[in-house]
Amino acid sequence: MLRETSGPRSAARPSRPWQLTWLVASREIRLRVKTRVFVVTSVILLLAVALAVALPAILSGKRKPDRIGVVGGTTTTITSLITEAGRASGGQALAVSEPSLATAEAALRKGDLSAVLVPGQEIIVNQVPLGGVTGSVATLQQLAGLAKLIQTVPGAAQAVAHGVALPVRGLEPPKASLSSRLTGLFTVIIVWILISTYGSQIALGIGEEKSSRVVEVLLSSVRPVQLLIGKVLGIGLLALAQAVAMVVVFIVAGFASGSDLVHGATLGVVIVGGVFIILGYAFYCTAFAAAGSLVSRQSDVNSTIMPVQLPLILAYALSYTVIYANGANTFYHVLGFLPPTAPIAMTVLYASGDVPVWQVVVAAALTAVGTVWMARIAVRIYANSILKTGPRISFRQAIRESRRA
Amino acid sequence: MTSAELEIDGLRRRYGTVTALDGLTFGVPAGQVFGFLGPNGAGKTTTMRAIFGVTALDAGEIRWRGQPVDEAARRTFGYMPEERGLYPAMMLFDQVEYFARLHGMDAAAAAKAAGYWIDRLGLSGRGRTRVDALSHGNQQRAQLAVALVHDPELLVLDEPFSGLDPGGIDDMSSILAERAAEGVTVLFSSHQLDLVEDLCEAVAIIYRGRLVVAGAVADLRRGDHPRLAVRVAGDRTAAWSAGVGSAVASVESIRTDGTAEIALTNSADSQAILDLARAAGAVEHFAFEDRSLSEVFRVATGASVGQAEAEHAAASRTTSVTTGAGL
Repeated sequence: MLRETSGPRSAARPSRPWQLTWLVASREIRLRVKTRVFVVTSVILLLAVALAVALPAILSGKRKPDRIGVVGGTTTTITSLITEAGRASGGQALAVSEPSLATAEAALRKGDLSAVLVPGQEIIVNQVPLGGVTGSVATLQQLAGLAKLIQTVPGAAQAVAHGVALPVRGLEPPKASLSSRLTGLFTVIIVWILISTYGSQIALGIGEEKSSRVVEVLLSSVRPVQLLIGKVLGIGLLALAQAVAMVVVFIVAGFASGSDLVHGATLGVVIVGGVFIILGYAFYCTAFAAAGSLVSRQSDVNSTIMPVQLPLILAYALSYTVIYANGANTFYHVLGFLPPTAPIAMTVLYASGDVPVWQVVVAAALTAVGTVWMARIAVRIYANSILKTGPRISFRQAIRESRRA
Repeated sequence: MTSAELEIDGLRRRYGTVTALDGLTFGVPAGQVFGFLGPNGAGKTTTMRAIFGVTALDAGEIRWRGQPVDEAARRTFGYMPEERGLYPAMMLFDQVEYFARLHGMDAAAAAKAAGYWIDRLGLSGRGRTRVDALSHGNQQRAQLAVALVHDPELLVLDEPFSGLDPGGIDDMSSILAERAAEGVTVLFSSHQLDLVEDLCEAVAIIYRGRLVVAGAVADLRRGDHPRLAVRVAGDRTAAWSAGVGSAVASVESIRTDGTAEIALTNSADSQAILDLARAAGAVEHFAFEDRSLSEVFRVATGASVGQAEAEHAAASRTTSVTTGAGL
């Protein structure tokens, strides 16, 4: 056959299916990584994570002990009283000996002291707050008064020095520490943000391919399933990279600031969260793709992805009731095992200590099975809808037609 | 037609109650510009989509060089769909290169080919422009670049001339002719039968999902009975033509200006007819005339292209079935 000599020669060779899938995926990655929006949102997210972890630790570390001036010099009893007042109010208080009332008041005015104790008489502060004094000064006010009252009782001072507060004992130990719960909350926020952000990017990207009609050119050389997998793979890798970066920042910032959040059991929560981010993305990515394939105009995408997001919203909204309570109700337990809600609900249940590890494993396995099931339906809907123009196709119609096809 | 390189064999496709393809069969010879013609709704887009596996068939087979078309074969095909589409926010060069790679070219070859075709189609310097920032005409060229970049052996273009100005039609047809001259088989569709009759060597004309007629354009336009158009001065009704013997020729119609259209058999003597006309008066016009392709269509189907399209449009309004093919 006569072939031209002027143009570049055809280098068209048979490609393996995964090569085409990877080409599609790498286009998705390059397209997004280059944009300013991606860079800016990534930086903001990572900063937010770093701040969320480090800020409480830094703030609590910076709280200086209250310096309480004692007029006429300190005694063991008074020092113990002041130390106990600090501990009982959840902070720290330090006794400072002051030779006279005048020097004590001068130091109070300068801000070197938080309060001045004139034993047996009064407590002086620079200015009495409208609601009365708080913190260690308030506790000291009561302890010093109590001490004055019982001064006549032999040994009372020593008793006060050993602590006056009675211990509180719970019949059942708490299921998980607050830091574990907060890490769980933090993790499900990430799961929610990543799945809904990248999920809607999938739907929007597919809506764009459909509405611009470029999909017909694509499908002349790529099979629908390759196109779909390439797309969710590319966007998924970006989501994963962002999740890993956030976890790294979480751990680094946590250790650097000495935050409670990175100690002990909370690391397990982060790992469970990581597994469910991947499973959750895998479950939802194809559903978002199918939703995107139903529209003819990109502006319709928001309404078609709403039903896809509903289970996530439900699990996320209810997660607050579990985080801040001892024990989840049965309903939330059930959500923990359903593939659409498990990525959020099971992470929360694990973080709040409501489920043993084997239940987490069962939920993960169920979600993996659900992912395969969802992908099969979604690919059929996608392949069946992606070339249909005209009004928006309903989910019911799409499922019915995909069964026939 | 011998040695059809692309064979369309007995294609059938129904969408609900609508029959898009009803046993369509024809062949496209190698290295020709081949017109795939018919009114809107005849089944052209469905057929072209079927070539690329984009539309499933109920029955029938499409063969390329004797083998059923598979994915490997399709990668050597280039496609310009009726509804043009490119990634709007992607830069022209990236886009053309991407499609080259999807057709199996390696990165270096894809970049080289993208650069070549962007220059070749007059888009030099636009490689870094977003596609949606290109003018309408340049977007058409970009679409063509995407279809050509991997140097396909079969080029399939759905309505490539629609929406083009006369200059654009000339450019497009010269590129198609050039590709065919270099051995590429070019199949393009059009519902404007007469517009493209000079642009292709052979055609297949279809209607209601079935082949009406196929063959070389010259043969189809001449027909089995060459047409003679004769006008005698002052004879507005061509009364003279009553004397034409029906054994060798027949009067097909009489135009409003008095020109008689006479179909001749092979054995007919055109000079005898000239003599007959001359005897009636001064002969103003005497010439062999080819039929237009739309007339070939009308004679073969009994309906004009316009009627066929109106009928299709009416049917589309009464059925809610989505055929997937745009109007």
